Amino acid sequence: MDFNVIIDNLPFLMKGLFTSFQLAFFTIVLSLSLACLIAIGRISNKKYVRYPSAIFVNLLRSNPLILIVFWFFFLVPLITGRPLPAFGSVLIAFVVFFSAYFAEIVRSGIQSVGSMQIKAAQSTGLTYPQTMRLIILPQALKNMLPALVTECVIVFQGTTIAYIIGMREFLHSTSLVAERTIRPIELYLFAALVYLIICFTGTRIATLLEKKE
Amino acid sequence: MSLPLVEIKNLSLKYGNYKALKNINISFFPGKCVVICGPSGSGKSSLLRCVNKLEEFDNGDVIFDGQSLKSAKNISQIRSNIGMVFQHFELYPHLSVLNNITLAPIQVKGLSKKDANFNAMKLLERVGIDDQANKYPAELSGGQQQRAAISRALALEPKLMLFDEPTSALDPEMISEVLKVMRDLADNGMSMLVVTHEMGFAKDVADEVVFMDEGKIIERSSSKSFFENPKSERAKEFINKVLLKI
Amino acid sequence: MNYEFNWSMLLEEPYIDWIKEGLLNTVQLSLMAWFIALTIGILIGSIRMMKSPVLRFIGTFYVEIFRNIPLLVQLFIWFFVFPLLLPDDLMRAWNSLDGVPFLTALIGLSLFTAARVAEQIRSGITSIPKGQFNAAFSTGLNTFQTYRFIVIPYAFRIMIPAISSEFLTIFKNSALTLTIGVAEITAAATYIESDTFRGIEAYSVASLSYMFTTASVVIFMTWLENFLRIPGLIGKK
Repeated sequence: MDFNVIIDNLPFLMKGLFTSFQLAFFTIVLSLSLACLIAIGRISNKKYVRYPSAIFVNLLRSNPLILIVFWFFFLVPLITGRPLPAFGSVLIAFVVFFSAYFAEIVRSGIQSVGSMQIKAAQSTGLTYPQTMRLIILPQALKNMLPALVTECVIVFQGTTIAYIIGMREFLHSTSLVAERTIRPIELYLFAALVYLIICFTGTRIATLLEKKE
Repeated sequence: MSLPLVEIKNLSLKYGNYKALKNINISFFPGKCVVICGPSGSGKSSLLRCVNKLEEFDNGDVIFDGQSLKSAKNISQIRSNIGMVFQHFELYPHLSVLNNITLAPIQVKGLSKKDANFNAMKLLERVGIDDQANKYPAELSGGQQQRAAISRALALEPKLMLFDEPTSALDPEMISEVLKVMRDLADNGMSMLVVTHEMGFAKDVADEVVFMDEGKIIERSSSKSFFENPKSERAKEFINKVLLKI
Repeated sequence: MNYEFNWSMLLEEPYIDWIKEGLLNTVQLSLMAWFIALTIGILIGSIRMMKSPVLRFIGTFYVEIFRNIPLLVQLFIWFFVFPLLLPDDLMRAWNSLDGVPFLTALIGLSLFTAARVAEQIRSGITSIPKGQFNAAFSTGLNTFQTYRFIVIPYAFRIMIPAISSEFLTIFKNSALTLTIGVAEITAAATYIESDTFRGIEAYSVASLSYMFTTASVVIFMTWLENFLRIPGLIGKK
């Protein structure tokens, strides 16, 4: 084995890693915002809000991410009339897909607080928005933080799927170098190690947050 | 005087840096009902759990019926001679009441299912819930669950019964049905160690009262003299608080 | 949007055969991988509950490695790297096997999912209140009996939802094996799409297959949960 091949190609590989981080970052920020809306829809007492939200969540959660990516890759140009850059299509597919998962986390976070807290807050004269902002959301956030961090790790792992449609993220860069240099052992093991370090850090943080309870 | 049933020697117990028990020395004799009381955090429940070695103690030893628990090879064997009743019942939720009671007699003592069932039904009759035998714990009221748990402990025909705050998790109207079963046991000469805040029970049923505070035994008296004439200031204060609720 | 639907082409040769083969591969792969993952997962999960620090470390090591490396990377390692690390004759034997992609996919999916199952087992067991152990020990049951009669039957009921959702995860994850050449249902959909440019029809077949299976599994598991439900304990998941 010769690990010089990694050092020689490090700038190229790191560029790929940066793309992976970018994709993960934008996915998390955008899908989490969308998820909050869906979660509120899921617990709404209005049927015409609750049912569509539930259908959206269950539809996406019963399909594999890669298939959702294929769907959007096919549908987006059809709707817009012109092809979108790979990053754009993938990002849209990721945001839609992961918003369903984040929505379930946010929903169970809100529901974990318990309705007596709402009643207690309202008994002291707080309005509904005040109750949500000052009493329910801070507690919900604390309850769902470990699950949120774990989901972020899953998003990061999921960015490898962009490889399949040719986006030059970290796994794709790795495979390109592996093919060019004919050194698959070194390169794939290196990629595995990098993913391991990043994701292990993430899951450790999630475990520590859980223990803090 | 007969030999002690339980002998606790130089017993210490730590949770991390917190000293739960500090060098306890005390003996309990067969046929007696002893109430252990004291403020919360005084170590009374920890002491009780040491008697059947549910806690790994750091120092000292407990001798039960002549056997040292520290060096005991077969702790399960010793434990099957000591019944224990828990604050939150700890019935096995996935087993019916009857199976909760017969599990240990069948598995530990090797009884046949038929004999175990027969004995269990007699016990359930004795505590007044034989009609609940085939229900599951979560279908019973708290008082019924605790009586089932007492039957489970009695099913092994123990030489000693440990009660760890058996009525603390019960609604007030259910406390008396459990206390009645316990009084019945004491009247029949069962050796009992009872951690409880029920001072009525301590006064009327117990032979002796042990008062603990901060991991130490502060005083030990007959129940009559403990309530009429406590020796220590701390015991006086405690009695006033729990009895008069001031 | 300008698109003319043609659903009937899905029933024509060779597409209908691709779909059938894809479905068969997906179902076979998922079921086999689930079975292996459960076996290994229960083993690793139990090792992590043992007293021996060495065994515990091995269990933890396994879980952290296999759940923190993305599945796709693991599949690539099994497919591209693993054969190269074999001694020459073994490598030749491996390459001459029928269906190397399927076997590779099976190994990759099983080992990845086993780590997740092991975590579920552990959290199922640790969720059992300590008082249950105390109660069992106090009646003289030994550790083995306590696990056999109290902990495992109880933990199993707690873990049914997690285990069934692991199956659904495997089922969806099996789509990733198209990258190493397994012709499962998502792969079949992409073949049809590139052959006919009828993406909506092709992907609908795949999506509906996943949704149908998900719904069936959810319904079956709900039934199973109800069947094993402990009387009196309601809505407690």
